[in-house]
Amino acid sequence: MPPKKRIFHRKRVCRFCTDSEMIIDYKDVKVLRNFVTERGKIIPRRIFGTCASHQRQVCEAIKRARQIALLPYSGNTPR
Amino acid sequence: MRRYETIYILRPNLGEEEITKVVESTNAILNSGDGEIIALDQWGLRKLAYLIKKESNGYYVYCDYATAPDNVSEMERKFRIDDTVMKYMTVKLAEAIDTAGIEAARGDYEAAKVAAAKAAEEEEQETEEQGGDKKEPVKEAVKEPVQEAAKETEEVKETSGE
Repeated sequence: MPPKKRIFHRKRVCRFCTDSEMIIDYKDVKVLRNFVTERGKIIPRRIFGTCASHQRQVCEAIKRARQIALLPYSGNTPR
Repeated sequence: MRRYETIYILRPNLGEEEITKVVESTNAILNSGDGEIIALDQWGLRKLAYLIKKESNGYYVYCDYATAPDNVSEMERKFRIDDTVMKYMTVKLAEAIDTAGIEAARGDYEAAKVAAAKAAEEEEQETEEQGGDKKEPVKEAVKEPVQEAAKETEEVKETSGE
């Protein structure tokens, strides 16, 4: 019998659901920095494991922060 | 009355007088009618994430207020004309707010200020007390996940053996 392939599932829990003190705010750049890549892209839910409603809020917050130049649209260093 | 918050970015090379002039004129617009300012916070010079009007720095001003919608559009019209304002963003926080709500919001800001001051003090104390107290809990925290990881590997071995 061929050995079964084991797929590793890391259990991911939404950070905001477990920690109710964390508030999503577009002015709080330190928190939002965790949710974008070095290039400034929003990290997808399938990687981070945030729940749907919180991911939506994070997304909105990042987009607002971009508008007011707190976060970059692309790239981490302005030329 | 609605509750809004606005962030506007001024040019970095302005003098203090010019900054206060812009801030006061916007406050005057927002206060007209029965509008009220809840909080005004000048974040000061910050590095921008991208260039705006060929500037890499900007002077951020944050304002939380309750006012009529007409005042907001008037303020934004002024911003568009004013050359010193590089960018602005207004967010509606609440559809309606009464005087009690305004007082409560001001209280929240005061509480946040006190909490921030306390946190800063505690941090200072912690840095002073760095010594025997802090090391023990760190060791414990490190141990636990290692044990858990060991358990997990055992479980994996058992299942793979089957």
